[in-house]
Amino acid sequence: MIGRLHRWLVAAPVLVTALATPLAVAAAPRQEGGDGQIAEGRELYLTGCSSCHGQDGKGIDAPSGERGPSIVDAGEAGAYYYLSTGRMPLASSEEQPTRKEPAYTPDQIDALVAYVASLGDGPALPDVDVRQGDLAAGGEIFRANCQACHSASGSGGALSYGRAAPRLSDATPKQVGAAVRSGPGQMPVFGPEVISDEELDGLARYVEYLQHPEDPGGIPIGRTGPIPEGFVAWLIALPALLALVAWIGTRSPIRQARAAAEADTEPAAAGGEDD
Amino acid sequence: MTDLVEPGVAGPDGADPGPQERGRRVELASAGCFVVATLAALALAVVYWQGGQPQAEGVLLALTLGGIGTGIVLWAKHFMPTDEVAEDRHPLESSEEEIAEFAADFEAGQSTLASRRILLATAGGACAALGVALVFPVRSLGPRPGRGLKETPYKNAPIRVVVESGDPVRPADLEIDGFITVWPEGYTDAADASTLLIHFRRDQDFQPRPGREDWTVDDIVAYSKLCTHVGCPVGLYQAQLGLLLCPCHQSTFDVMQGARPVFGPAARALPQLPLAQDDDGFIIATGDFSAPVGPGFWDRGR
Amino acid sequence: MSELATPGPPKRRRGPEHLLTHRLARWVDSRLGTAKLARTALNKVFPDHWSFMLGELGLYCFIVLVLTGVYLTFFFSPSLNTVIYQGSYGPLRGVEMSEAYRSALELSFDVRAGLVMRQIHHWAALLFLASLGVHLARVFFTGAFRRPRELNWIIGCTLLILAMLNGLFGYSLLDDQLSGTGLRIVYSITLSVPLVGTWLASLLFGGEFPGPDIISRLYVIHILLVPAVITILLTAHLAILVRQKHTHFPGPGRRDDNVVGERMWPTYAAKALGLFFLTSALLAFLGGVFQINPIWIYGPFDPAEVSAASQPDWYMGWLDGALRIMPGWEIRAFGFEIPNPFFPGVLLAGLTFTLLYAWPFLEARVTRDHAEHHLLDRPRQRPVRTALGMATIAFYTVLFLGGAADVLGATFGLSVNAILWTFRFLCLLAPPVVGVVTYKLCKEMSARDGVPTASRVTVREIPRRLRHGEERDEAERESPALRS
Repeated sequence: MIGRLHRWLVAAPVLVTALATPLAVAAAPRQEGGDGQIAEGRELYLTGCSSCHGQDGKGIDAPSGERGPSIVDAGEAGAYYYLSTGRMPLASSEEQPTRKEPAYTPDQIDALVAYVASLGDGPALPDVDVRQGDLAAGGEIFRANCQACHSASGSGGALSYGRAAPRLSDATPKQVGAAVRSGPGQMPVFGPEVISDEELDGLARYVEYLQHPEDPGGIPIGRTGPIPEGFVAWLIALPALLALVAWIGTRSPIRQARAAAEADTEPAAAGGEDD
Repeated sequence: MTDLVEPGVAGPDGADPGPQERGRRVELASAGCFVVATLAALALAVVYWQGGQPQAEGVLLALTLGGIGTGIVLWAKHFMPTDEVAEDRHPLESSEEEIAEFAADFEAGQSTLASRRILLATAGGACAALGVALVFPVRSLGPRPGRGLKETPYKNAPIRVVVESGDPVRPADLEIDGFITVWPEGYTDAADASTLLIHFRRDQDFQPRPGREDWTVDDIVAYSKLCTHVGCPVGLYQAQLGLLLCPCHQSTFDVMQGARPVFGPAARALPQLPLAQDDDGFIIATGDFSAPVGPGFWDRGR
Repeated sequence: MSELATPGPPKRRRGPEHLLTHRLARWVDSRLGTAKLARTALNKVFPDHWSFMLGELGLYCFIVLVLTGVYLTFFFSPSLNTVIYQGSYGPLRGVEMSEAYRSALELSFDVRAGLVMRQIHHWAALLFLASLGVHLARVFFTGAFRRPRELNWIIGCTLLILAMLNGLFGYSLLDDQLSGTGLRIVYSITLSVPLVGTWLASLLFGGEFPGPDIISRLYVIHILLVPAVITILLTAHLAILVRQKHTHFPGPGRRDDNVVGERMWPTYAAKALGLFFLTSALLAFLGGVFQINPIWIYGPFDPAEVSAASQPDWYMGWLDGALRIMPGWEIRAFGFEIPNPFFPGVLLAGLTFTLLYAWPFLEARVTRDHAEHHLLDRPRQRPVRTALGMATIAFYTVLFLGGAADVLGATFGLSVNAILWTFRFLCLLAPPVVGVVTYKLCKEMSARDGVPTASRVTVREIPRRLRHGEERDEAERESPALRS
């Protein structure tokens, strides 16, 4: 009897641990990911990112040359945004990040994202589902929070000292969510208390709409308003009007042929009185 | 007066088929334009009847009008007389006689009056008084500009700040580098009370203005959202630089230094709102803004 | 009466007097005695240079504005009452907005041909102002504003101001985010006027911004008051033109005491009618093919929101640019202040229009030329005036570009701060440079033509026969006459 109890006393904790571990792993925050993925991410990081962001993601603060900010608190969202839009890696730290073809495959991006997330407790990547989103509510959130930088049509806008809020024409819903939660570059951070996950679905859906909006009026000429409209007026419409006026005002060639034949250049005297 | 080219008729200098043939072609072209216009008008009617389509409507209307216009212009240019004629200009002024006659007739009505001056003066005074009186209704167009321009509903402090939906805000709701627009509770429709809450970073070297050291809560500072230039909402926060940029005329305000203007036409800092936390942990305003919000006016400083 | 005969072989059995047009004309004439006046009108001579048709373009744009505008009034509702949108534009369904904005959306999406009418109306407004601009330039550079046409110049300047204001008020009626921001700026500029600014703003808006009254007030101003005044002034403008007869360029047979051109009937009238149809055709094309003012993207007006790249319509761009370029200076003393927007928004605007109005009188005084002129100048023959005009255009062009500073920065990847600094210097440096270059060009071109340019005092008067047959060439007494 003692032997059987002894066996249970040993087996039970092992059994509990064996059962609990997968549960613990499953319940753990998404950020941790699988160890293998994080390791792969670290390898990629050391090769492609550490020269500016440091061996441990804490950044390099040199007066010139290769340097970059700390990415310890960038989180899943920050890392995903920069990598999936191709803004990172940057050829030199003097360059302004702009959207390009991503330098990594989606799997590599996932690995890097997992690694960066493991460095600190930055924002998680939100789960954006545009089909759940309320388009009109998303529009209201967009106009309340986003249009001041990105313009009402999502065409982007100028910031101070040469920076710019980018066009949203290529942003995927996941990238919208990542940017909103991580506030890349000059963008502020909009946490879940400010824009909830449901609202984020709607916002991403509205951004998607802005990429192909209804243009019932015809050629949209940028949708940015009066400047392109003024150019159309002055560079297309007014020249057309002036051409019409010039056409109407020129002498008829048929008449010119007759006038040449008649060789009479004196104007005839007018009839009638003036008032 | 005329040298109308009538198609089919030879000109006065004999048989010159050139202009005549061209004339015939132009006549056909002109008629053709009118035909196009007619067809376009019919097509426009069909489009409209079928439910309408803006591009089709615009183009067909343009063809209708343009067809008529082109037809008329071709007709005028090639078939209507365009010989130059001269017309004399006569002096624009009236002759001395005419002016004298007018003056005499005008004065005739006055000659029976003994003294015109008193009547004219009193009549003039009456008309002026009437004119002034007629202006009075203008006063009803709007209220006397009073304290309204110098106060906001935050004068009811202490008062919670709420987002547009009416929910109050806790400091933890605002992430670092986050910003949000709030209003005094119950006054989310007040156009002058829109407020920016900004959660700045420790490394941004926030320097409170003298006397405002306790106006922030947990690194959250509040400024009026109305630009002190011409009142546009300053909705653009550049989180890394700590600068607020107004999209209207590019006035730039430094959040870390009391939102003082660092570029652009704004000449005054954004007024700051004193913040605190109430017992439930929500952010409240403890007083009205540090200065009248929005653009300047004559007696803003009084 | 035979002038009214329709072309074609005469009828064999009955004379032309029995045609309907004849009978109608006689009916009117027997009651009004119109034949003599009508004949004078038919024979009026109009010089036919193409640049004389620019004012007409403005007139036709105005007619299109009125016609489309009347249509729009049948659908637009100038009320700021709050409603919830339930129309057919999905991305705004369920959103709170004003009745004015809702009616504009309904017009754009749910009324057949409503969007085309709205777009034609707006394009016509842009081109109305553009036509007035080029017409003003033509009149200025050819000296057509000189005596006896100063009055028409004044009327014309007033028409320009009224057109600008009506355009601004018109697009502000829709209560969308972009135009509402513009109204905020109008309010603040009004506020900035010393002493009376707060009163003016309160009376105009019915209180503090935004207030519940502004849209309905602008509506009355936009559809009734200003168009009425424009119509009256336009009629006066044309009547004066007819009375004084149009100016003409120097040329064979053309003198200061005659006018050479085409007769009104039938050719000039036909060309004018044709131009009207063609202008309307272009406006219709624009209205259908080029989207303008997509208010559904801007969203309803909210005083706490604003979009990047917010600009007014083009003709207000110079004021917007002036506001942006102006450095952050204010005058403050004893608690009173003259706020920053007053200088570019009120002073500069006031100075602009004052100079514009005063120009004919200024030029007459400086050149000491008070004679009548019916022959136009070629711009190159008046190098000082042309240079000053081009310098002024350069100044306002820099301001216009300033109004687009943020869009220029975003489009070309430049720093908006650097752009604005550049324009601050450019608006002072560009005018003198452009002026000097223009002056030299004029001199050179005139020299190549072999015609001397006007010196300070200019006359090309030929002795005119005045009343009582006197001959007088007062101008020749004062200065040497030029060979024409």
